[in-house]
Amino acid sequence: MRFDTVIIGGGLAGLTAGISLQEAGRKTAIVSSGQNAMHFFSGNFESPSADRDRIAALFAAAGVRTNAIDGQMLMPMGTFRDASLTLEDVTVFPDRHVADKALIVNFTGFHDFFSTFIADALEQDGTACRIRFVRLPEMEHLRLSPSEMRSVNIARAMDEHWEKVVADIRILHKDEDLILLPQVFGLKDASVLDKIRTALPARVAFIGTMPPSVPGIRTQMLLKRRFEVLGGTYLMGDEVTSAALHDGIVSSVTTRNLDTVRLFADHFILATGGYFSKGIVTTPTQVHEPLFGLDLDFPENRSAWYRADFFADQPFMNFGVKTDEALHALKDGEPVRNLFAIGSILGNTRKEDFGTAAGLAIRTAFAVVDNIKGENV
Amino acid sequence: MKIQEFTASAHNFEECMKCTVCTAYCPVVPVNPRYPGPKQAGPDGERLRLKDPYFFNQALKYCLNCKRCEVACPSGVNVADIIQAARIRYDHTPPKLRDRMLANTDFMGRLARPFAPIVNGMTGLGVSKAVLDATLAIDRHRTFPKYSGRSFEGWLKRRTKEQAKFERQVAYFHGCYVNYNYPQLGKDFVKVMNALGVGVQLLDKEKCCGVALIANGMAKQAAKHADKNIKAIQAAVDKGLNVLTTSSTCTFTIRDEYPHLLQKENDGIRDSLLLATRYIYQLLEASTAQLKFKENYHVRIAYHTPCHLEKLGWGIFSYELLKMIPGVEFTLLDSNCCGISGTYGFKKENYEASQAIGKPLFDQIRSLNPDFVACDCETCKWQIEMSTGFTVKHPVSILAEAIED
Amino acid sequence: MKRNEYDVIIVGGGITGAGTARDCAMRGLRVLLIERHDIATGATGRNHGLLHSGARYAVTDQESANECIRENMILRRIASHCVDETDGFFITLPEDDLNYQAKFVESCLAAGISAEVIDPKEALRMEPALNPDLIGAVKVPDGSVDPFRLCASNMVDAKIHGAQVLLYTEVTGFIKDGDTIKGVRTYNHQTHKAVEYYANITVNAAGIWGQHIADLAGVKIGMFPAKGALLIFAHRVNGIVINRCRKPANADILVPGDTVCIIGTTSTKIPFEECDEVRVTPDEVNLLVEEGAKLAPALASTRILRAYAGVRPLVSADNDPSGRNISRGIVCLDHEERDGLKGFVTITGGKLMTYRLMAEMVTDLVCRKLSVDKACETAETPLPGAGGKNFREVAEKIWENPTTVQKAAVARLGTTANRVQTSDSLDQSLICECEEVSVGEINSAIERLDVSGLTDLRRRTRLGMGTCQGELCGCRAAGMLAKAHGCADKARDDLKDFLTERWKGMYPIGWGDALREAEYTQWVYKHVLGV
Repeated sequence: MRFDTVIIGGGLAGLTAGISLQEAGRKTAIVSSGQNAMHFFSGNFESPSADRDRIAALFAAAGVRTNAIDGQMLMPMGTFRDASLTLEDVTVFPDRHVADKALIVNFTGFHDFFSTFIADALEQDGTACRIRFVRLPEMEHLRLSPSEMRSVNIARAMDEHWEKVVADIRILHKDEDLILLPQVFGLKDASVLDKIRTALPARVAFIGTMPPSVPGIRTQMLLKRRFEVLGGTYLMGDEVTSAALHDGIVSSVTTRNLDTVRLFADHFILATGGYFSKGIVTTPTQVHEPLFGLDLDFPENRSAWYRADFFADQPFMNFGVKTDEALHALKDGEPVRNLFAIGSILGNTRKEDFGTAAGLAIRTAFAVVDNIKGENV
Repeated sequence: MKIQEFTASAHNFEECMKCTVCTAYCPVVPVNPRYPGPKQAGPDGERLRLKDPYFFNQALKYCLNCKRCEVACPSGVNVADIIQAARIRYDHTPPKLRDRMLANTDFMGRLARPFAPIVNGMTGLGVSKAVLDATLAIDRHRTFPKYSGRSFEGWLKRRTKEQAKFERQVAYFHGCYVNYNYPQLGKDFVKVMNALGVGVQLLDKEKCCGVALIANGMAKQAAKHADKNIKAIQAAVDKGLNVLTTSSTCTFTIRDEYPHLLQKENDGIRDSLLLATRYIYQLLEASTAQLKFKENYHVRIAYHTPCHLEKLGWGIFSYELLKMIPGVEFTLLDSNCCGISGTYGFKKENYEASQAIGKPLFDQIRSLNPDFVACDCETCKWQIEMSTGFTVKHPVSILAEAIED
Repeated sequence: MKRNEYDVIIVGGGITGAGTARDCAMRGLRVLLIERHDIATGATGRNHGLLHSGARYAVTDQESANECIRENMILRRIASHCVDETDGFFITLPEDDLNYQAKFVESCLAAGISAEVIDPKEALRMEPALNPDLIGAVKVPDGSVDPFRLCASNMVDAKIHGAQVLLYTEVTGFIKDGDTIKGVRTYNHQTHKAVEYYANITVNAAGIWGQHIADLAGVKIGMFPAKGALLIFAHRVNGIVINRCRKPANADILVPGDTVCIIGTTSTKIPFEECDEVRVTPDEVNLLVEEGAKLAPALASTRILRAYAGVRPLVSADNDPSGRNISRGIVCLDHEERDGLKGFVTITGGKLMTYRLMAEMVTDLVCRKLSVDKACETAETPLPGAGGKNFREVAEKIWENPTTVQKAAVARLGTTANRVQTSDSLDQSLICECEEVSVGEINSAIERLDVSGLTDLRRRTRLGMGTCQGELCGCRAAGMLAKAHGCADKARDDLKDFLTERWKGMYPIGWGDALREAEYTQWVYKHVLGV
């Protein structure tokens, strides 16, 4: 099968590149070995404001609305993070005094929304908090399974029953100027978020839960659909098993499912992520990139990969595939001329240029797409 | 010895990162809370069962074995394999008569075929449906697939000479459905292959692939089928033939479930057993054969990817072939399970769950209102036709009607 | 009776202290147990969890072997909920001397340990994880025992018999009257209060830290700390304990315990000052995997969950400062007799297997000193939770159709699982998905088992001991503790400590799936939850 570009990895980086290339009329395939880190997305792009408009436009075309506001994002454990571009689910506050009075509503028995921590933190910044629980008869069947009071399961029920929850909250609400809810709404259709905001008598903010991230899943779904509507080929649950790389050029890749039907392309983009998604693989002695054997720097002494404090900056999080300035991946010190590396596989090595996590994914994708488009002009 | 260069575990259960993504894509979880979900039933449960088999949970039977958890898993864990393997290993309750009947598709087919008009009439009757419902717990909403009076095998046998004339040859694993219920698909397949300049042979004694046996707790019997099929397919492969199929589930079962669940080594045949759509796509892509399409063929097709085709990753061949037909307006339906899952949806206790699982798909079909639905799976066809009223056609049948006679 | 006055104060909340508290309390003494951290934080919780048959010592130390088999049989009776009767193999590999097997069997039989020679093929059939190259196998009554559960059960029973237990309370000094110890000075790390407690006798049961306690009392005990490192594999590779049939050496025991299996150990002398901060080195990890893979080749490619190390409380038998004469046996010191210090005794040495016997010996001594004439009953009296043929029987006695959550609770708590609330679906909801720990079980631990933080909760429930090492359950349980204790700030810090404690065992084996899990946990906690 022939494509203009084959992207290995279907997460935020791969989809951003894929959508951009399809928009430019390039025939693109994405090979994705299962779902991806979008399912753990906080909703904050952690991106410097430079590409904000471009990112927002790409997402808007896919039906994903974003907030481009500089301010503070309230995290699930009650801490705050800087934000400049977020998914529409995320409320960005100008400062930490988010309200004079807040009502925090949780579902009875939902342990993945941390109302106690949020209340405690907000109280310290002068917001009086009241925590209340709702319990819908329509959700009781979920409890038959001990592991079903989880974000996505509740979200599925909420797609149908959100109006009932809103009615309950209206009864619970007294004089609070802010209502905080877990991000379990609008899994199928984000317009529910606005409907809830309109239906409630105070400002509403949706706060994150333990993964899976409901906004993240919805975003992934919409981006994938956008890519396919544009004519892209998304091979879900398949995996590139080997690549033909000769004289600094990749000619094709082989996948587990299509085996003898190889994927040929002019350009290849490696967006396979870090350790979790096996973009980078480790053994007791090695850190390596398994598909192409690309260059990676890591200390030989394993003890130097880690710090004892889990919350310290962990050295292993910085190991990433080496590239030239144009993000061509390096092998044996030489750039592979039609292979680019984007997203988390770069580790945090390019943090200063591109931001972390989501920012890195999107901005390296843009850089590579521009490069590919430029080459052919 | 390589020390910790990689890790290995049964169906990769130890690769699980506990990210819970599988649960988000399981079609059963939202409709049947008695099911513990793929993560609990699969990798989590496996550690407990290794601790003590007493942790085996009968609720694992609610797993559809649709493999959507495996397609979604970012870690390459074969979640559904873990669950099915646990059922085979730990569940020793003998299958009910109803399950034995549903599972023995080829036996039932052989039995029913000579009396097809009577059987079809009987199973279609409200009274008999009520009896089946009450006595065997086969849901009364279900209509049994019609049995054909003449088997496909007989039809093709009568054309052996004619088929032998083609220089290029393939063998055909037709499966129970084509043989007993819907020989027309087999005939369509032969028509398309012949148009491509390829003759079709039967295998020497194929058996039911056994997917329904595995699902209904009859793995031992399924293993016997596997032995016979591997032997029959191997004989064809040894003659230098590809063995083609028109059922995504039979293909998937023989290629992957045989080694993974029945411990049947199939290395010698795995690469030669292909879905017809893949084979046709490859012929056309390599320009070694052409198809001439009718000029006045205009249809709006919505394509549904069956779960096992999704797992095989071969849906792309069906999409590309259908898109190749001039005059086809092609829409790919969102990837959702239709809810039937072979014999699962026929069981009274699963009927409601089955329909609830399929609802998003049915809704999407209705809103698209295509001329017909396309799909590579026979049981999805029953379910979609019964639940939406839309006709479902196999891509090979669509090719057959779109090419010039 | 004055406030803060007891018959006996026991210093140390490990298995020896807990067992001694139980024994003393059962003999009617007024008991106070003081522990600087949580229960089972020293060597008690840092070993194989092997229910020794004694076979390992049969050739070299008949006395220890005999002690082991007797206690082994007692524990099966009194602590059935802590014991898994797996049996054990002693296998001979091609590089080992098969002649040793005959001597081994003979020594076992002499010590009263049943030892049956099994054909290697049959052994392999019984335990498919065995190295298929084995040339000999002997079956012995080894098993596995959960040290946390055993310690907690002793603690609970001690309390049932009237003992008081103070956790997170450190002994900072002794109250002396001439040549007599009258009591202890303590500092509570949670309330930040210094309190004095009085007793006629103080028992030093502080394990390796007993040297420091003795120092505070003004007497010398020569401890020889020996670090032993172990690895936990992510699931049960073997169902039967596997030992090497040769003179005891490094990494020659593989024990299936609960949902995991454990290979160990190494043995390295370390300075006493390092006892509080033992680390597992990369060399130790390599050695454990390489040697372990000889017992069960699957270990070379099985996911490792964590590495940890304990310090054996070895003591010189006759106060020999050179350490040449080290005993692994039980050391019970009457400091009045030995050093002229009244009201102070030390119980040390020994091993997990012989904790009950150690408790009996020191309690006998205490009773003699207090002129209490009551016989020891700990060998006959089951611990709370013990009973039933197996956990299946217990579960089905409590519930008609036990759910997975209920089965898991019984497998941990035995008959006392009936106190765990499971009737409401809210209580059956899972907090720790890997180990099936429910809301009800956690609430029950918080209410009954002196839990002040997540790590304590882990020792009592196995929360966070599974595949994800606390990644899913840590914050859920922190939320519950924040609510139960009404202190979110403390719970948030506790969560950080908990994850760092989990990480401590993960980074020594930080490659492959363990590193994948670590990266995921980093995302979840740093970027998604914002800890």
